[in-house]
Parts: sequence; C-alpha cells; structure tokens
Amino acid sequence: MWSVVVEKRGQMKIMQMAFMIIGVFFFFVLVGLFFLNFMIGDVQSGAYELQKRQAISSLEMIAGMNELSFDSRESMMLDEDKLMVMSGGLGDGYEDFWPVASLRVYKVYPTFSEEKKCPGIDCNYYDIYDSGQVDVVTYSSFVSICKRVKEFGHIYDKCEIGKIVAGVKIRGSEAVNED
Amino acid sequence: MRIRDKCGQQEIVGFVLIVVLVMVGMMVFLVISLGNNGEPLDSVEVSTNLDVLMRTTTECAITYEPDYDDFEDLFKSCYKEKSCSNLDRDACDYLNESLWDVMNGMMVSEAGIKDWSVDFLERDEDGEVGILRVEDWMNCTGKVNSAQRAIISGGDRLIVRMKVCMINN
Repeated sequence: MWSVVVEKRGQMKIMQMAFMIIGVFFFFVLVGLFFLNFMIGDVQSGAYELQKRQAISSLEMIAGMNELSFDSRESMMLDEDKLMVMSGGLGDGYEDFWPVASLRVYKVYPTFSEEKKCPGIDCNYYDIYDSGQVDVVTYSSFVSICKRVKEFGHIYDKCEIGKIVAGVKIRGSEAVNED
Repeated sequence: MRIRDKCGQQEIVGFVLIVVLVMVGMMVFLVISLGNNGEPLDSVEVSTNLDVLMRTTTECAITYEPDYDDFEDLFKSCYKEKSCSNLDRDACDYLNESLWDVMNGMMVSEAGIKDWSVDFLERDEDGEVGILRVEDWMNCTGKVNSAQRAIISGGDRLIVRMKVCMINN
C-alpha cells in the first residue's frame, strides 16, 4: 500500500516536471519566434535599402556618362543641351550603348500637369532611349538639369530639378515600379 | 513535513528566478530592438535629394542679375540677413516661400513619401539653434529617413537637414 502511494507521488512529480518542461519549451519557442520576426523585419528593410542604393548607384553611373553629364566632378548633374541632342533623334545610334531598357528624364520643378515631349516649347520630358520592351521595372532618382544661359550680357549656369527614370528588363515574373 | 515545505519553497524560488531572468532578457531585447525606432535613419536617397536641392538655381540675386543664388548660397544669404536686390525681398522670406514650392514639387512626384521637412540650423558649442523650418509634416507613422549637409559661412557652421516620412506598406 505504502509503495503504491510513493509510486503515485513519483508519477505526479514526473508529470509536473514534464508539464513544466513543455511549458518552458513553448515559452522559449514563442520568444524565439518574436525575436526572429524582428530580425527578419530588419533584414527585409536592409535588403530594400540595399536595393535602393544599388539602383541609385546605377542611375548615378548613367547620369555620369559623358553623353549626359554637365560637370564630371558632380554626380547626378545632367546637361540639358546634351539631353536635347540625345532625345532629338540624334541619339539613334546609341541603341547598344545604354545598359538599360529605357531612359527618360523629367523636369520636376516647375511642376506640370500635362506631359510634353522635348524638344519643344514648354516641354517637360526627354525620351532618351526606349528599346520598346514592355515588361520593365523602373528605377528613378532626382537629378539636377543644368544649362549655360546668357542673361543681361552675363553667362551663368542655371540648374533645375529633374528626375531620371531608367527601365530595367524584368527577370522572371517580378514587377515592381520604384518611382 | 519541514523537508517537504523546504522543497516546495525551493521550487517556488527557482520558478520565480527563471521568470525574473526571462523577463529581464525580454526587456533588454525590447529596449535594443525598439531603441532606434524614433530616430531618423540616414538614407542615400534623401542625401541625393538634398544634393539636388542645394544645387538648384533660385530667382534671388543678392548683388546683380544674373548672379542668382542657388539654394546653398540662399541659405547663407538668409543667415547673413541679406536681401534679394532684384526681387526687393528679404532673402529669408524668399527662401521660406521658394523652398516650400520646390520641396512640394519634388515630393508630389514621389509616391512613397508622405511627409517632409527641411530644417536650417546653426551649430555652436551649446548645440543646434533653429533658424528656419519648412515642412509639410502631419502625422508620421512610417519610417523616417534623413540626410544633412554642413555649410560654412564665414566662421559659422550651418546645417541643412532634410527628413522624409515614408508611407507604411
């Protein structure tokens, strides 16, 4: 009789311990999931920032090309006269030159309500290159659009704000616009 | 009876100790993971935006036309309390107005940005003193990105800081 009571108490102790271990295990699993959630969130935002950085770096490289740049010492500074030349049909021989599927430059300020292709009066965007590909993902960044202007007998550099938009061919099925 | 009591007390003390340790661990983790959330993060995108803004030519000529200030020079002119001779306006007034127009024009074309602000500050030994703030900042709940540029005017150090609030996805 005594041994049965001791055995039962022992079983109870083992059950208590088992429940305790299961409880602690689930608790740590929850804490781990919580921690993983935070870590994955950090990795995702890091990946997004890295992707953005890479896109801006590519756009910087395109904007720094001699065919477009205003001042080779400054980044993201486009020459409006060169844009005019490249978008006015004179850039037709450059099909194989551009490392992107499409390239456009918009004037952002002063703002406009209707798109008008350059060259033209009150135009607001330059269509530098378009390969005609449909499935492209676009990346954009602000740029300075500068030109040398003569006013009141003096020459000075006038810079406005624009946006360079490059289209890159989609690999597989991803389709995101980064405007 | 006493031995059984002591065993029970030890179990309770052990359990409480585990709970306290886990709580402390979670608190430390929470403080580390949430600690930086309020602070704006340096962003290469905002940095580019700020560079482009600073190079933009304004309509304000301090001495003669067409010696127009770009925004970087206009910040300096505002700090030195100069006037735009061609517009017959105070440089700070013109800066306030034109900066809002330009920033608004820029941000309208950015789908991912909800709010923005540009702070113009003077930095001295005591810290930073605000000179001008232009903003369209309502109730930002998303990630805040920022960038800043230092401008040297005479012996004084000026700071232009741009902050943007991203739309939550």
